[in-house]
Amino acid sequence: MKKKKNTCPNPDAVGTEKGTPAGGPIMNQTDNPKIRLEGITYIYGKNSPFEVRALDGVSLDIHAGKLTGIIGHTGSGKSTMIQLFNGLTRAEQGRVLLDGEDIWARPKDIGRIRYRVGLVMQYPEYQLFEETVYADIAYGPRNMKLSEEEIRERVAESAEFVGLQPEVMEKSPFDLSGGQKRRVAIAGIMAMRPEVLVLDEPAAGLDPQGRHTIFRGIREYNRRTGCTVIIVSHSMEDMAQYCDDVVVMAHAKALMAGSRDEVFARADELEAVGLDIPQITKLMLLLREGGMPVPSGLYTSESAEEALMKIFNEAKREKEGRRRT
Amino acid sequence: MRGFTFGQFYPGSSVLHRLDPRTKVVAAVVYIVASFLCRNTVSFAVLLLSGLVLILISGIPMKVVLRSVRALIFIMLFTALLNIFWVVDNSVGATPLLEFYFITIYAKGIYHAVFILIRILVMVVGTGLFLTYTTTPIALTGALESLLRPLAKIKVPVHTFAMMMTIALRFIPTIMEETDKIMTAQKARGADFTTGSLVQRAKALIPIIVPLFVSVFRRAEELATAMECRCYHGGEGRTKLRVLKYRARDVIALLLMLLFVGGIVTINICGARYGWFYTM
Repeated sequence: MKKKKNTCPNPDAVGTEKGTPAGGPIMNQTDNPKIRLEGITYIYGKNSPFEVRALDGVSLDIHAGKLTGIIGHTGSGKSTMIQLFNGLTRAEQGRVLLDGEDIWARPKDIGRIRYRVGLVMQYPEYQLFEETVYADIAYGPRNMKLSEEEIRERVAESAEFVGLQPEVMEKSPFDLSGGQKRRVAIAGIMAMRPEVLVLDEPAAGLDPQGRHTIFRGIREYNRRTGCTVIIVSHSMEDMAQYCDDVVVMAHAKALMAGSRDEVFARADELEAVGLDIPQITKLMLLLREGGMPVPSGLYTSESAEEALMKIFNEAKREKEGRRRT
Repeated sequence: MRGFTFGQFYPGSSVLHRLDPRTKVVAAVVYIVASFLCRNTVSFAVLLLSGLVLILISGIPMKVVLRSVRALIFIMLFTALLNIFWVVDNSVGATPLLEFYFITIYAKGIYHAVFILIRILVMVVGTGLFLTYTTTPIALTGALESLLRPLAKIKVPVHTFAMMMTIALRFIPTIMEETDKIMTAQKARGADFTTGSLVQRAKALIPIIVPLFVSVFRRAEELATAMECRCYHGGEGRTKLRVLKYRARDVIALLLMLLFVGGIVTINICGARYGWFYTM
């Protein structure tokens, strides 16, 4: 796997501030963020005995064109956060900027924001309703009042991204397997060609094969269209494998944000909030501590194998060389 | 739709909360009967007073109780107005208070309007206090099952009905939540439920109703399987985690209710015999 080093324009902003106050420094700051959160605070059941602070002064940049993963435990505020991106909910405090503009500048136009920021909810297969897969994927574009031709093109394109065969298109979505249904639902949002695609646990409840198909499809979409993609997950392994940037949520705050390598280098802090770095990365870190010259930033067993084999072969060659002399 | 709770149960530890749910069902029925027995000014005053006493005993804030009445305000005012304008006093010596073209208002009409207002108000508040505010829906179905058990002798599937009711009540919040989720999801796909003609709006509901039905059937099937896996086979020989038990306070409560009905009947008789108060 090719390592893609991300440049973070302001490395100092890679948040270490645990108690970031509202409007505090922006984590993972960049000059032209696709989305910027400024001092976002969101409270459930305000002024009731059940008041819960789901987000507490989160300030953060999402870089344009990148695949950003948001990681955190249940209740860390990650699902709340993504509903703010397209204005499904509105924060008590703080602003959400899309391309530098407050999405709530004109509350009546919030519908248009939802075309620009597409949201795939958790278990999206339960929202399928049309008679055919084609019609279901076309529902979003049709709401956008696009021409039939444009719709056909977009449906075909997004079906390809998620790996749906053309012969599936005329079937009823209710006859498909769980994984296929999930892919139809994701294609339904992709077909709207949002500038930002947000997915909440897109691979939850799927087998490894299904997980990889979906993640690969999403990555492909990100690379080919250049659209910004945000994935919410609690699976460190998946995030490490597919994301450029990683945001770590804990206790209603953004604990860390930065490029994948920067975040996973801080294994101790991640473990302190009960999150694990991928097992293979951890093993490599331990080997490095033990004095083995393995490179950092390995997230898949394939890349680790490659690196270890290189070391092994070098050592073997060295040994043979020594014997010859 | 968030925060919707069914049955307005208001947690507490008052005597009303602690009474056996069966006692409360019986008491609610007796209370309704009592409100219909009221005939004159004093008995209605006693009825109103009893309603206030019940609220005080239950420890539920007045604001919460009155919220349940709010939905009925229109019906209450409508019936009251009907009584004011339509009641005609044919008794000897009765003169209208007001005559204006076709409108004639008698004192009797105003009395009737006030009486009916009190009756509806107390009935709604009273049954609410006995049943929905102080009793959980599950306890209520348990009580109904227990009270209706004699019907099982004539082959009425009492337990099945109670189970159906319990399941229905249990799943109302779940399905509300589900609806909320599906609506959010379709909104994210650009669905619009609020504009357009009536036909367009009805059509806009299809993307919600179809997934909702699919999910309800799926849930029903899963629940049935889960119940069968736990060897559910109906009511026969089934025991309960919380066994209902009558206590001294239940007997006292029922005696008080009987005393209350007796009191109202006495007031009615006295009123009619001696002509003390205005009688309906």
